[in-house]
Amino acid sequence: MQPFALNYARPAVELEATTPYVYDSGLQLNVLLDGRVAACDHALLRELGTTTSTAGSKTHFDD
Amino acid sequence: MTVLILTSDEDVTADMVVVHLNAAGVPVVRLDPADLTASVSLSGEFVHGSFRGHLSSGGRLVSIGGLRSVWVRRPGDPAARAATPSAWLTEESAQALYGMLRGCGARWMNHPDAARRARHKPWQLRLAQQCGLPVPATLITTFPRAAREFAERYPDLVVKPVSGAHPQDPPRAVPTSRVSPEADFSAVALGPTLLQRRVAKRADIRLTVVGDRLLAARRTVAAGPDADEVDVRFDPSGEPWRPAEVPPRVAETVRAYIREAGLAYGAFDFAEDGDGTWWFLECNQSGQFGFVEVDTGQPIARTIAEWLARPGPGDQAPADDARSTAR
Repeated sequence: MQPFALNYARPAVELEATTPYVYDSGLQLNVLLDGRVAACDHALLRELGTTTSTAGSKTHFDD
Repeated sequence: MTVLILTSDEDVTADMVVVHLNAAGVPVVRLDPADLTASVSLSGEFVHGSFRGHLSSGGRLVSIGGLRSVWVRRPGDPAARAATPSAWLTEESAQALYGMLRGCGARWMNHPDAARRARHKPWQLRLAQQCGLPVPATLITTFPRAAREFAERYPDLVVKPVSGAHPQDPPRAVPTSRVSPEADFSAVALGPTLLQRRVAKRADIRLTVVGDRLLAARRTVAAGPDADEVDVRFDPSGEPWRPAEVPPRVAETVRAYIREAGLAYGAFDFAEDGDGTWWFLECNQSGQFGFVEVDTGQPIARTIAEWLARPGPGDQAPADDARSTAR
């Protein structure tokens, strides 16, 4: 038997292992392969869900 | 003076704010405390009653006394990526970093003391009610009998985590879920369980508060097979968030909540019922905002950047007073 709330648990939704951007420590921003700043591409952010309130984060529980 | 952002590299939501700070010409140093002793260094000497020193990250060096604000966004555990990580090293690093930052006089979003307190859901419910926000009937218990009695009084109820944390090994999410009043509540004895009367909602409300600025978004509950999905984070309907007006009474009470909590930032979740009443569910002191801005176009990142970019500690109250730093 497990704590009651865990009866309602689901597998955590993990983001794709690879995102199409990497952190540039010089710019202090994540950049796409073509050099554009990822945060300026809202359509991409919506598609990836990386700015979404997601349950199941390993490290942060504020959604 | 510099804005210090404590967050992980992959935090693209923080990027949305950095873009605005860069455009405004405000110096930024972004680092993840997890990189302490690896690519992040610190040094401070206690001189004439305060610590004077520097932080270094990615080739950038910033004076602790030269910080105008500190944004605690999504930092990792201090020294988590050190060559030889340990719980002891994490505690040592946390005390050193946050201990020195506490004395720098910068404004915090959010101050660690205020943030720690604000994470407690029972505390949130109490403060919300004190401020005048409607709160659904709620029970937190390890007594199965209390849970059964609560279910008899409120047969339409939900269960949600007390902390908002999610179990690992394996990684799982615990969404807010409907509970049958006929459920077997014996497992309540194995862990504190939060049961709450379900609000029959016609929309979810995400109200993002940045200083004095309120930015509300509304997401209609779509009719259909998923209408029973209580937790908006798992709702597959694809309904977009749209900008919403904040009722004056709610605005007043939310500002009171933020003030009493000593927060500079908060993301409130409400359930809007059939009468249009906004029922308080929770306030995440570090809640996500990127998805709201992406859907609504509301200038949340710019508003955060403007708050962080305000003048430095020259005319600020002592940083150790959490309430005084949340203006």
